[in-house]
Amino acid sequence: MPLSGTMDVAAFAATAKLAEIHGFKTGEWTLKGAQILNVYYEADNDLAREMMPVTVRPVIPAYVMFNVTHYPESPVGPFTIADVRLGCRAGVRPRGFTLASYVDSEAAARELAHRWGFPARVGKVYLRAFHDRVAGRVTTAEGKLALEVEMLDRDFISGGDIQYVSSMHLCRNREDGKLTMAQCDPEWTFSKAERGRPNLISFDSASWNAGDKVRPNWPISASYAIADVTLAKIRYVSDPHQDAFRGTTQVAA
Amino acid sequence: MKFGIFYEISVPRPWDPGVEKRVFDNCLEQVALADELGFDSVWAVEHHFLEEYSHCSAPDLFLTACAMRTKRMRVGHGIVVCVPEFNHPIKIAERTATLDILSGGRLEVGTGRSATWNELGGFRANPDETKRTWDEFVRCLPKMWTQERFGYQGRSWSMPVRTILPKPLQKPHPPMWVAVTSPGTEIDAAERGLGSLGLTFGSVREQEVKIQNYRKIIANCEPVGEIVNNQISTVNFLFCHEDTEKGNKIGRRMLGSFNFLAAQLLAAREAYPTKSYPSLGLLPTLRKEASGPADQSGVPEGIAIGDPERVLRACKRWESVGVDRINFLLNALETVPQEEVLNSLRTFARHVMPHFQDGSAQAAAAGGGR
Repeated sequence: MPLSGTMDVAAFAATAKLAEIHGFKTGEWTLKGAQILNVYYEADNDLAREMMPVTVRPVIPAYVMFNVTHYPESPVGPFTIADVRLGCRAGVRPRGFTLASYVDSEAAARELAHRWGFPARVGKVYLRAFHDRVAGRVTTAEGKLALEVEMLDRDFISGGDIQYVSSMHLCRNREDGKLTMAQCDPEWTFSKAERGRPNLISFDSASWNAGDKVRPNWPISASYAIADVTLAKIRYVSDPHQDAFRGTTQVAA
Repeated sequence: MKFGIFYEISVPRPWDPGVEKRVFDNCLEQVALADELGFDSVWAVEHHFLEEYSHCSAPDLFLTACAMRTKRMRVGHGIVVCVPEFNHPIKIAERTATLDILSGGRLEVGTGRSATWNELGGFRANPDETKRTWDEFVRCLPKMWTQERFGYQGRSWSMPVRTILPKPLQKPHPPMWVAVTSPGTEIDAAERGLGSLGLTFGSVREQEVKIQNYRKIIANCEPVGEIVNNQISTVNFLFCHEDTEKGNKIGRRMLGSFNFLAAQLLAAREAYPTKSYPSLGLLPTLRKEASGPADQSGVPEGIAIGDPERVLRACKRWESVGVDRINFLLNALETVPQEEVLNSLRTFARHVMPHFQDGSAQAAAAGGGR
């Protein structure tokens, strides 16, 4: 039968720094001129599956998304965020399950966690576009290098060629204290898009709530884009103990 | 309207020793019965690495076995991957010609380029290039089949002059088709005089527009081969049972299993940003199938699942928009027991086929209408 995630959600929640989401009533944020670096690698399938709640199904081959985005403006000022996500399916829909996020602004980390359930913590997050590459780097608050990734050989493509997927955030709902999976459905309006060669220089799985379970093993692709991003209000939440097909609730139109 | 059967060869876990043999044996038994009942053709995909979803990586061998067990049915590659990392074009010409001879001139050659990262990445093929290599291959194949000596200097492959052997039995050569998954590929098919081998499960209305487009364009095509194959084929599920409730229930289970399996694949576009793959392959249509409008049976419009009356309505609907052939998937993950699959084929042949001009002739010739 089709495979499902096998994560022990309670055990994960006990050790990971999950967000506390303040209900599902947030308004949307429109963030202009975001610079987005996305690097995809294939990963060990069996281990990746252990890092997904039963809500989602793994993709075969498993793939991991390294995302570093700089938002030059937002309601809480500029910030840069990095996420590590596992490619998955909620029902038959493509999604990314976010293992952890690092944000270089305490205010932004707090708002992203409370509004959309991002498993965000503060760290040093770096993103720069050079003439020959785009580089992203994440260092934890304790000074540990968590991620260093880059896109080489920059080449123009169309924004329409890029297929980002929505993300799923395991978080605790402040209203009832229960764990939930909040789905974040951003919209992107591209003004520039590039593709290049992915290069993962350093990745510490443990820094992303994943112990040694996420093992990138083969490069797929890298893209860099400039886009206006709308973090829309949350429309769907899922029970982390049930398949999304059965355990998904619509909370907004 | 002609009816065929279509194989992905889906093998459920656990993969204990012998499970693949059991599934292949079931498929071959179905093929033999379908031939007796008057189905027109059997098609087999070429897929690699698609766990559970498809274990049909050597379709030419499977189709050879089908040809050996049947008398009338045509055998179709649905499709051969026309990407050099997967298949060298000389080998495609040689293998297809051999299969055409062994089947007594019953071969149909579907062509395509793969749409998953599972496969493209596995063979380290460049997704940007597959449309171009497919185009080169489909222009070369008819020449390799028909010219005594053939040489070529091209973009993705070249060869000095040689005699490619054997030659197909069908003259001038077997009919050629293109797998149509991405939007616009039906236009590529029509421009080249190739049959449109629909492999998605979009709504009848969506397909109708594509069909009209195809017919207009193929009327003025520049054929890549020596014949124009002006035909539209679509793929569908089949579970036909006289008990309405049972037909719907078992059929829906098959449909659901297929959708979940297909959803686990990694579409080329999802993994690798490229113009070459403008859609997510099967995924958008699966989404509609999973949540889209259905009639009171709970089965989406146009899907041939249910009692004979409902299945007949679905097939007539496709006929009314200009589809020439429907190829049916009979099972997914072996969710339908083999006896039920065989009964479904018999029920379809007895109650549905006779309502179609070609189908009636097929069924009558084979005694399926009795």
